Amino acid sequence: MGSAILNGILMGSIYGLTAVGLTLIFGVLKVINFAQGAFLMSGLFATYWFVKFTGTNPYLALVVVVPFTYFMGYYIQKFLIKPVFESEKDVREPIGVIIVTTGIWYMLDNLALMLFGAQYRTINVPSVSKAISIFGLYAPLSKIIGFFISITVSGLLFWFLKYSKMGKAIRATSQDREAASLMGINQYKIYNVTFGIGTAICGIAGAVLLPFYYVYPTVGMHLDIMDFVIVVLGGLGSIPGALVGGLIIGLIESVGSQFIAYSWTIEVIYIIFLIILFVKPSGLFGVKGEF
Amino acid sequence: MCKLNWFKFSFSLMLFFFVTLFSGAFVNSANAQKKEVVIGNILPLSGPSASAGVEGKKMREFIVKQFNANGGFECKGELNGAKIKMIYLDTKSNPTVGVTDVQQLINGDNVDLITGAWNSGVTYPASQVAEMHKVPFVVPVSVMDRITGRGFKYLFRIAAKDSWWTRDQFRFIDYLAKKTNKKIKTLGLVYINNDFGKSFDDSWLKLAKQHGYKVILNESYAETATDLTPVVLKIKSAKPQILLVVSDAADAILLQNTMANYDVRPWAVISSGGGQADPAFIKNTGKNADYLFDMSEWAPDMNKPGLKELNKKFKKAYGIDVNGETMDAYVGMHTIIAVLKKTCSTNPDKFRKEMLRSKLSTGPFTVMSYPYVKFDKDGQNVDAGLILVQVRKVGNKYERVTVWPEEDARAGFKVVFPQPNHY
Repeated sequence: MGSAILNGILMGSIYGLTAVGLTLIFGVLKVINFAQGAFLMSGLFATYWFVKFTGTNPYLALVVVVPFTYFMGYYIQKFLIKPVFESEKDVREPIGVIIVTTGIWYMLDNLALMLFGAQYRTINVPSVSKAISIFGLYAPLSKIIGFFISITVSGLLFWFLKYSKMGKAIRATSQDREAASLMGINQYKIYNVTFGIGTAICGIAGAVLLPFYYVYPTVGMHLDIMDFVIVVLGGLGSIPGALVGGLIIGLIESVGSQFIAYSWTIEVIYIIFLIILFVKPSGLFGVKGEF
Repeated sequence: MCKLNWFKFSFSLMLFFFVTLFSGAFVNSANAQKKEVVIGNILPLSGPSASAGVEGKKMREFIVKQFNANGGFECKGELNGAKIKMIYLDTKSNPTVGVTDVQQLINGDNVDLITGAWNSGVTYPASQVAEMHKVPFVVPVSVMDRITGRGFKYLFRIAAKDSWWTRDQFRFIDYLAKKTNKKIKTLGLVYINNDFGKSFDDSWLKLAKQHGYKVILNESYAETATDLTPVVLKIKSAKPQILLVVSDAADAILLQNTMANYDVRPWAVISSGGGQADPAFIKNTGKNADYLFDMSEWAPDMNKPGLKELNKKFKKAYGIDVNGETMDAYVGMHTIIAVLKKTCSTNPDKFRKEMLRSKLSTGPFTVMSYPYVKFDKDGQNVDAGLILVQVRKVGNKYERVTVWPEEDARAGFKVVFPQPNHY
């Protein structure tokens, strides 16, 4: 039982991390990024190939994977999403952009299929994948490391948005992009950076997941659906909300399944999801535009 | 004026149909000697099951090419000297497409016979269309029970049906207990929550009762599950002696690796030829899958005469080893050829009669896992048998090694049970 709770907390925080990028991009761009799963897949593949070619530790891959996914997101926003944005600039929640992100999702998934084939791939890191005992509770080191990385990344992001100059500009844009523009903030630059940060977090999530997960071109799909639930549960646009949403799902999945069949836990997740939507439609931490 | 035009139009249309019909009949009766037997193949050549479909197509081509090069049919009757012409249509694993394919093959291409469709869900409705038109339908693979037993006269299935898979899994458990003198009492059942998994689980529960085993864990997980630790923790606390598993590809890898990471080692894990049979499984689990048993219809290392030679020729032609999929296609094609040779006709009633009468065990049929191909009145291959392979270290690689039935086992290998370091 103790191990199940521990696993729930560890997995929950990692689920939360996979959803942070999605919530950030929504909070600022007001766009539901359907390519989220594809970015996660890119992060997983980037980590996979780094480990495969260098033979080093997957966490070292962060040095390469984070800049790679950051610039991928930055330029995708700059060259593919921005033009659509500009043509829809008078709309608060641009639908055209959502369609574009769906296109990017398909493009990236199929690109991966063409380049790497449909087979499943894993990396074998015995040093972190074996379960270790902490006060009699068992958990693999890879998930414990994943937990700390998730908390650290979310904390750093929170601090960055709250106190750094760029962070303040991002928050200003998310609250009112016209007013922010009037204050001399380059709205599209902020969008590029936000998108870059969002995808970079997907890259980090990829490096965290790979030691105990697998990768194939449509792997993002499973995580994608869960991420949407997490983000809506926690409140669209809220970073602590994403973490808490992740924890709730992780705990229901892991602890709930000790009492009922594992496949039933999904039912429970969606029931709780619906209840929260009825009681608090903006999600647990959902205050629009607030981080 | 307008009415007259319509009359003229329908009259000429009728005339056209009559002429076509009679000329067709004339050509048919004039051409008593057939130049070719046309076989329609419906296979998943794209979409999620494409790899299986493409491999099956290669084996069919391999056999037909050789057969035609050797001069085709040599028999007394209308097929003497005839060759085989293959037509392939893609089902995309989609039942609707499969049905349209069969209609196209029968009405457009006038095929004499149809074979396919790999996916049970496609074979089921597609074979119905063929039956309606009295076109023999030979099913090499689809395992769903309900495909046979519908009272069809022209449907024949080579593969073992899925209730036989669970039957043989329990025969194997009985064998393990008897062979090693160990008392097996408890079973754990873990399955993916879809048609495939659920049908196995239903059948396991019944069989466990019949064979006197106690099921102490019966757990399903969703196809979309991202973390199987909760399931593994449940296995860890229930500690069943034998764990029976049904998985698809990705979850098979996840389950096996998570079990190894949490040191969950039952006496034996027996899987059901799903994801564990995918070549990606051993590649991604390696040592973690050591001593796992998997059910299979066939394995390349079986101790069978002619197998090595067949594999060598096939690999030379197509660059891949013979595997379960290609073997099913192999047996299917050879059955069709052997029976047509005997009837020397494409008449569907003669074909059925000969299919039910034949017992094919020599020549190309020595490489199968069971001794002969023989159909019952439902068109089911009665003794289509199954084997068990165990993942074992051979040299410095992990391989699927045939261990049961004993007479088919790879030379030098025996069942290892219970696995070392079990709980």
